[in-house]
Amino acid sequence: MDPQPEPVSYICGDCGMENTLKQGDVIQCRECGYRILYKKRTRRIVQYEAR
Amino acid sequence: MEHGSFTDETKSTFSMADEDHTLANALRYTLNQDPRVTFCGYSIPHPSDNRVNIRVQTTGDPAREVLKDACQNLMVVCQHVRNTFDKAVLDFNLTKAKEEPEGDISIE
Amino acid sequence: MSGKDKNLHIMMTESESEQEDVGKEGIEWIMNLPDVPMKLPPHVELQRTRVECKGDAPIHTDTIQYSGAFASMGFDNSLRLDNFRNNFKIEVINLKGDDIEFDMIGIDPALANAFRRILIAEVPTMAIEKVLFANNTSIVQDEVLAHRLGLIPIRVDPRLFKYSDKDAPNENNTIVFRLHARCERGKPRLTVKSEALTWLPNGSEFPLVSDKSIPNSKPQTYTSFSCSQDKLPEFSKNSIGPKDSDIILARLGPGQEIELEAHAVKGMGKTHAKWSPVATAWYRMLPEVLLLEEIEDELAEELKRKCPVNVFDIEDIAGKKRATVARPRACTLCRECIRGDAWEKRVALRRVKDHFIFKIESTGALPPNVLFTEAVKILEDKCERLIAELS
Repeated sequence: MDPQPEPVSYICGDCGMENTLKQGDVIQCRECGYRILYKKRTRRIVQYEAR
Repeated sequence: MEHGSFTDETKSTFSMADEDHTLANALRYTLNQDPRVTFCGYSIPHPSDNRVNIRVQTTGDPAREVLKDACQNLMVVCQHVRNTFDKAVLDFNLTKAKEEPEGDISIE
Repeated sequence: MSGKDKNLHIMMTESESEQEDVGKEGIEWIMNLPDVPMKLPPHVELQRTRVECKGDAPIHTDTIQYSGAFASMGFDNSLRLDNFRNNFKIEVINLKGDDIEFDMIGIDPALANAFRRILIAEVPTMAIEKVLFANNTSIVQDEVLAHRLGLIPIRVDPRLFKYSDKDAPNENNTIVFRLHARCERGKPRLTVKSEALTWLPNGSEFPLVSDKSIPNSKPQTYTSFSCSQDKLPEFSKNSIGPKDSDIILARLGPGQEIELEAHAVKGMGKTHAKWSPVATAWYRMLPEVLLLEEIEDELAEELKRKCPVNVFDIEDIAGKKRATVARPRACTLCRECIRGDAWEKRVALRRVKDHFIFKIESTGALPPNVLFTEAVKILEDKCERLIAELS
C-alpha cells in the first residue's frame, strides 16, 4: 500500500540487539545471526484504567 | 421522593436515591426514638439499585415533618459527637505532651 | 343559697384555682418527684444494656430502639438530646501516626456503624485512576501494573480537590505522576519502587495526537492545567507524592524499560477500594468479665490457665489465692473460661452494648482523627440534603 515501506525496528531474541529491517530483508540479527526477531513496542500511548 | 396518600399524611414511604444502610439505619433509629412514631422501618428493594425506602407512620403529626425532625436530631447528635471527639483528641495530645515533652506531637 | 352552700362554693373555686396552678407547672413538678420510676428493674436493665455471652450462644444481642418499649414500666426510652449530651463520652486511648484507638461511650450501634461505614466507603481520597503507557517492556503487563499503581496511597489532602466527573482534567481535579525507569544492559535487576513516581505539577507532558489542520501555538496534552500546582499555596511547601516510598511496583531485567504517566483523581471507597482512606476501621463492644462467686486456690489457678489472653490474675490474701479480673479489655470472648462443668455459674461474660472500642487505621492521606471528623460531617451533610429535599 505504502509507496516506500518504512524500515521497522526489531529486537533480537538472543542478544537483544536492535535491528531495522526493510521489506525483502533477510530475517536475521546483524550482530549474532539469530533468526528470531521480535517487533519493538510502539511509543503510541495506551491508556488503562487503574482498577 | 415521598409516596403517601393525599388524605392521610400521617403515614408515608420516603424513597431516597443514592443512599444505603448508612443513612437509613441511623434514621430508623432516631425515628424509633421519637414518641410520635408508631412504626418505622426501611428496606432496600433491590441490591443493585442505590435506593432505600423508609416507611414512617405517626400518631398524628405529618410523617414528613417527623422525618425532618429526625434528620435535625441526627445532625445535632453528630455535631455533639464531633465536638466531643475533637475535645478528646486535644485532651489526649495535651496529656501526652506533658508526659513526653520531647515527642513530636501535632496538635490540629 | 344558704350560708353553708356559699362556703362550699368558695372552697370549690379556691381548689379549682389551685388546680390551674398545678396544671401550669404540673408536668415539671411531677417529673421532679423522686418516686416516679425512671429506672428499669435490674434484670431488664441488664437485658437492655448488656449482651450476655453464654456457653452455646450470646443472648440479648439486640438493642431496643422503640421509644415506648418500656412504657408500661414508666421508663422513657425516647432519645432525649440533653440526656445524650450528658451521657456521651469519648476517650482517646492511643493516637500515633496513622492509627487511632478511642472509646465511644453512650451511643447506639446504628450511629457507630454509620460512622464506620462512612469511613470505609464514603470519605474521599485521591488515587491513581488513569495510567498512560508510553513504553513498558517489563514482564509486568500494562493492566497489572496499572492496577498496582491504582492501589498506592497518595499523601495529599483530598479536600483541596474537586471530583472530576465529566470535566476535562485540570489543576483542581487531577494530580499527574510520571514514572520512567530503565534497567541498563549488563546491570543487575532493578527494583522499581513507588518512590520512582515523580509529581508533575504542570500536568501531563505527553502530547495529544491532535488534528493538524487547526493551527495551535501550544501542543495539547492529556491534561489542561491553567497554572502549575506547585504555585498554589497548599502545595508550594509540601510536594505531593506517594505516602510510602518502598512499595514495589515491578522488577526490571537488563534492557527493560517502563515509561508512563499516572493521573490521580478524587473518588470514594464505594466506587473502588483504592479510594478508601482507611486500611481498616472497626469497633468492638467493651467486654465485661464478672466473677459470680469467689474463685479460690486450685480453681483460681485453673481459671488463670484457661484464659488464652491472660485476663485473670491471682491475688494472695492471707495465704489464700483468689482469682481477680485484671484485664477485661483483653478479653476476646472466646468463652474458654466458661467451658466445662459449672464454670458458666462462676464466670459471666458480657459486652456493654453502648461502649465501643473504635479503631481507625489510616492509609496516610489524612490523619486518623481528621478522618473521623470528616466521616461525622458526611453524615451531617446527608441529613442536611434530606431536609432540603423534604422542604
